[in-house]
Amino acid sequence: MSFLRLLARNRLALAGLVVMAAVVVLALITPLLPLADPDVTNTADRFERPFGAAGLLGTDHLGRDLLSRLLHGTRLSLAVGFAAALIAATIGAAIGIVAGYYGGRIDNVIMRGVDMLMAFPYILLALAIVAALGPGLMNALIAVAAVNIPFFARNIRGVTVSIANREFVDAARLSGMGDARIILTEVLPNVIPVIVIAMSTTVGWMILETAGLSFLGLGSQPPQADLGSMLGEARSALISNPHTSIVPGAMILVIVMAINLLGDGVRDALDPRLKSGALSRPMPTTLVRRETPPPAPAADDAVLEIAGLKTEFHVRDRVYRAVGGVDLSLKPGECLGIIGESGSGKSVTALSVMGLVASPPGVITGGRVQFDGQDLIGAPYEVLRRMRGDRVAYIFQDPLSTLHPLYTVGAQLVEAVRAHHPTPRAEARAHAIELLRAVRIPNAESRIDSYPHELSGGMRQRVGIAMALANDPEVIIADEPTTALDVTVQAQILSLLDDLRRERGLAIVFITHDFGVVAQLCDRVAVMYAGRIVEAGPAAAILTAPAHPYTARLMACVPELGGGRRHLAAIPGLPPAVDRLPAGCAFAERCDKAQAACRQGDIPLVAHGPGRSVRCIAPEPAPEPAPDTVTEAAE
Amino acid sequence: MTPALKLTGLAKSFPVGKRLFGPPRAVVRAVQPVTLTVERGETLGIVGESGCGKSTLARMLVGLLEPSEGRIEIEGAPLDTADPAAFGRKIQYVFQDPVSSLNPRKTIRQIMEAPRRHLHGLGRAARAARIAEIFAAVNLREDFLDRYPHEFSGGQAQRIGIARALAADARILILDEPVSALDVSVQAQVLNLLADLKAEFGLTYLFISHDLAVVEAVSDRVAVLYFGAVVEVGPADRVFARPRHPYTRLLAESAPVVGRALTAPEAPETELPDPLNPPSGCAFRARCPRATAECGTVPPPLERQEDGVWLACYNPLPPTPPAEA
Amino acid sequence: MAGYIFKRLVSAIPVLLGISVIVFLIMAMIPGDPATAILGSYATPENVEKLNRDLGLDKPLVQRYFIWLGNMLQGDFGRSFSLNRPVLDEVLERFGATLVLAGTAFVLCSLLGVAAGVVSAARQYGAADKAITFFVLLGISIPSFFLGMMMILIFAVKLRWFPVSGMWPIYGARDISALVGHLTLPALALAVVATGVIARLSRSAMLEVLRQDFIRTARAKGVRERAVVWRHALRAAMVGIIPVLGIQAGFVLSGAVYIEMVFQWPGVGRMLVDAILKRDILLVQGGVVFVAACYVMFNIAVDVAQTLLDPRIKT
Repeated sequence: MSFLRLLARNRLALAGLVVMAAVVVLALITPLLPLADPDVTNTADRFERPFGAAGLLGTDHLGRDLLSRLLHGTRLSLAVGFAAALIAATIGAAIGIVAGYYGGRIDNVIMRGVDMLMAFPYILLALAIVAALGPGLMNALIAVAAVNIPFFARNIRGVTVSIANREFVDAARLSGMGDARIILTEVLPNVIPVIVIAMSTTVGWMILETAGLSFLGLGSQPPQADLGSMLGEARSALISNPHTSIVPGAMILVIVMAINLLGDGVRDALDPRLKSGALSRPMPTTLVRRETPPPAPAADDAVLEIAGLKTEFHVRDRVYRAVGGVDLSLKPGECLGIIGESGSGKSVTALSVMGLVASPPGVITGGRVQFDGQDLIGAPYEVLRRMRGDRVAYIFQDPLSTLHPLYTVGAQLVEAVRAHHPTPRAEARAHAIELLRAVRIPNAESRIDSYPHELSGGMRQRVGIAMALANDPEVIIADEPTTALDVTVQAQILSLLDDLRRERGLAIVFITHDFGVVAQLCDRVAVMYAGRIVEAGPAAAILTAPAHPYTARLMACVPELGGGRRHLAAIPGLPPAVDRLPAGCAFAERCDKAQAACRQGDIPLVAHGPGRSVRCIAPEPAPEPAPDTVTEAAE
Repeated sequence: MTPALKLTGLAKSFPVGKRLFGPPRAVVRAVQPVTLTVERGETLGIVGESGCGKSTLARMLVGLLEPSEGRIEIEGAPLDTADPAAFGRKIQYVFQDPVSSLNPRKTIRQIMEAPRRHLHGLGRAARAARIAEIFAAVNLREDFLDRYPHEFSGGQAQRIGIARALAADARILILDEPVSALDVSVQAQVLNLLADLKAEFGLTYLFISHDLAVVEAVSDRVAVLYFGAVVEVGPADRVFARPRHPYTRLLAESAPVVGRALTAPEAPETELPDPLNPPSGCAFRARCPRATAECGTVPPPLERQEDGVWLACYNPLPPTPPAEA
Repeated sequence: MAGYIFKRLVSAIPVLLGISVIVFLIMAMIPGDPATAILGSYATPENVEKLNRDLGLDKPLVQRYFIWLGNMLQGDFGRSFSLNRPVLDEVLERFGATLVLAGTAFVLCSLLGVAAGVVSAARQYGAADKAITFFVLLGISIPSFFLGMMMILIFAVKLRWFPVSGMWPIYGARDISALVGHLTLPALALAVVATGVIARLSRSAMLEVLRQDFIRTARAKGVRERAVVWRHALRAAMVGIIPVLGIQAGFVLSGAVYIEMVFQWPGVGRMLVDAILKRDILLVQGGVVFVAACYVMFNIAVDVAQTLLDPRIKT
């Protein structure tokens, strides 16, 4: 039971569980304990102090034994609270599932009714119900359950709608399943965790509510008493004999606190988003924990140099080596492509440069990023912040999620400028309009006041590019900037980027998974696989004659337009999981040229023809180098 | 021979701004009346950019969406109810997102058994034998059957999705972007598997994708969709190689290809038409370099040309002979 | 915007009608002979006769509803027999006191809750986060009436910083400082629970937003971290927080019932509880409808605030 293990890992939840178990056991065995009758009055011994002659907790205003009343009251409060939660959850969930699954008019009518009930401050509804049915514990239970049904119904409906729209429900329909069967076998099993979470986080609340009605004198009636009515009765003697109030009040506090701790634990254990630690907030810069000193900088003309970069994700006890020692250099005005499949580490490499890898769980464990004469790995936050967007700017993949939805594009551009150069607003705005024109947005003067959702995908990405250009950076890192776009829009954006880089002499790192894009845009390319560069060199040379078997086979298995109908040369198997990388070449498992030596020890990236390098012991032969271009391979 | 699938004037409109009672505020035509036939054993590729209505069309074909107009005939027999179970025995669907199309709380065996049980009413033993057969055909190990979906990679999950579609014994499969959620190295595996299955089981495919190269590589014929309407249908090896419709040419020129220089195929201010306020006549005319006054009148009908291509255009590009011939 | 507000007001009409139907039906559930059941032991012949006349109990249910509704629309909520005065007069007077208490508590819990949530999220797992999380847990676990009683014991009885109960001093001037003195303890006690809920929600909304791509964009632009948290993240998180503030206003109003009992605050909550115990059904009915209607109006204001904040909502 992974659920119980997760729950037990949470110490607070465990404490809640222990306290709750103790209270429940105590409540269950109360009738068997040698206690005084909770309802027998003895006015001679009223208001006895705790730890005195009259029992452990003393007596109340009628001389009744407080300990006995406390335990009996706890029994009652727990039973009523749980019953109310169960009733509300069952009815509310049923309503929510029906409304959410069927949708349309049924949903509309049901949810209007629910909204109507939620239009009451909840206690008014409870008071009205109690007023009609008359005071009493049973009626209070009904009232509390009734007012909580709308909350469950609305919550469960939302979840059901998202599940009913999932593709597996469509698949079930196509498998010939009817509505009732789909609700019971496809939807319900996926909703139950949410119902359990909702219940575990509201039981405490229900106990408080029933106690509250009893406190007002509308719940349990004398001589029977739950914790709320004990408190209510003790109120008149609050100042003279506070212990009669404190005893039941503290008991409620303990119970509800234990339930809430337990409920949070249940939620955390059942919520799949929390399992991977995803709900932690990324810090302003990536955590750096270098295990080895960074390599010395190579003195050359590179504007940006990455050496031995290692970035890992630490999730629980697993270590994912997303980037396992990457060396790259970018010359001024050059466009360097990084190509690879998802999980190859290309985006993480790019984000590591300015410390933008989400952390936790990301940790940079080694390497150097040399820019402007200093090592940026481990540089103080303020140093990085001053460079971000000013000297090294980013363009991200999905322009809808990467722009702030609630600010106009103008405000976001102005902010990009003013974050680095204190400029009067009017001047910054004029500059923003210029930027929009530079990325060929028509009607820049009016578009500047648009919100991102009012623009098409292509226009949004132009805004993203304008933002990157705002401070005339030396380097732009574009992380799959056209992947989310349609092919005709992609063509426009690519030609825009190409024009801009020639006009402004930008150095670009362009991350993509598309060989066609690399061929059209990039001067040099680095191919990544399982967190490492397997091949690097001039784009044209690599694309015409790939040296690494992975590059060759990846190119062969991607159909290219104009090739007509054909059988594709697929690569068998899957890329290795980066938390279980094999020794030696990560591609050996899928490579038809693999030899025993491929699986033994680290294989270095070696020079392979002019300006090229390859990480393979049996690469395709290098083309004959022309005598004047024999140079060191790409670092 | 009767075609495997015949669509006649199939169209879908969505109401916008629904009210509790009374008519909606506006109606958006997601799919204009579409007439298409798919021959038995053929793969018809459907290609178009986001919002062109290709997924809406696909969902109508399997009964997940009720068409607003038109009819669907499968092997000559009309099917005009929106009952997925009635469709399920004849035509099946492979989803884009392989992980989301598998219920996370069911074993693969439970998922595989559903069509055998509910569509064909088979007993346990008969089910098990057939499922084993299908699993072998999609190259999956039988011990996978007792695992849960989260234990599989995207490529494996997509094989399971294909296996489930096969388990219904339908002879027509609608493949809705079946490889676009997969990594490129895995894409080719799945595409090849689909080709093998087609030969083995005598299947007919409708292959929907936004990726021109993938569509071209797997299809016999390709239909190009723009703004909910078919603008060109022709053999796969010539639709993009020698396009006749200006939009098809724009698509073909926009695709990044190794060895071709980067050019902006059109001016930057071009935008897609607004579905709430559709243009008169041809939807493409605002972006079209060949547009004339005639294009603004009525939408051009889809007509057969002398070279066998179907076109919806008043001013098509001239037919060009193949490069070698 | 004015058009949108008007549209929202019009759409409130069915909700208000629905509320009146629900209240009416609940009151019609009273078993047995309503007049006797309502008046119980307080019944005098005149009272029974008067109640029958007031409620029109001899007429069919639907007709009775419309008579009741028609009277309410003319400002006639009936007469409270236990207080022997028009229901509306009493409700209006009491509601003013509740508004002072609940309004103060609402402002307190909104400000404190959101601020605590933001700080907690921005320093996740830090000392401030842990301290806030602990107080939040305490806040949502303690019954507000118990908290109120303990506050009286400590701050009013032991330390004598504040008066024990009531809204005004029995003797002396009814000025602002007297009101603040009397208001502090009950408003704080009332705010604690809602502060906890809002802080908790704000924290998770902020954590959710801080992981979004546009936050990474803001950081990649070089925006200072304080602006990232308070300008970018909080603005986006408010879209999720504001509707909860609307719901929490209902909880504050509900909690006011207990706090008014504990602190002898002359508000509408205490009036309702007294009315229920005295079976003064017309007073209950009138009070519930009136307060619920006010709450509906408040929620319209929340919706309007939401559209001002989020340009994606079509007005």
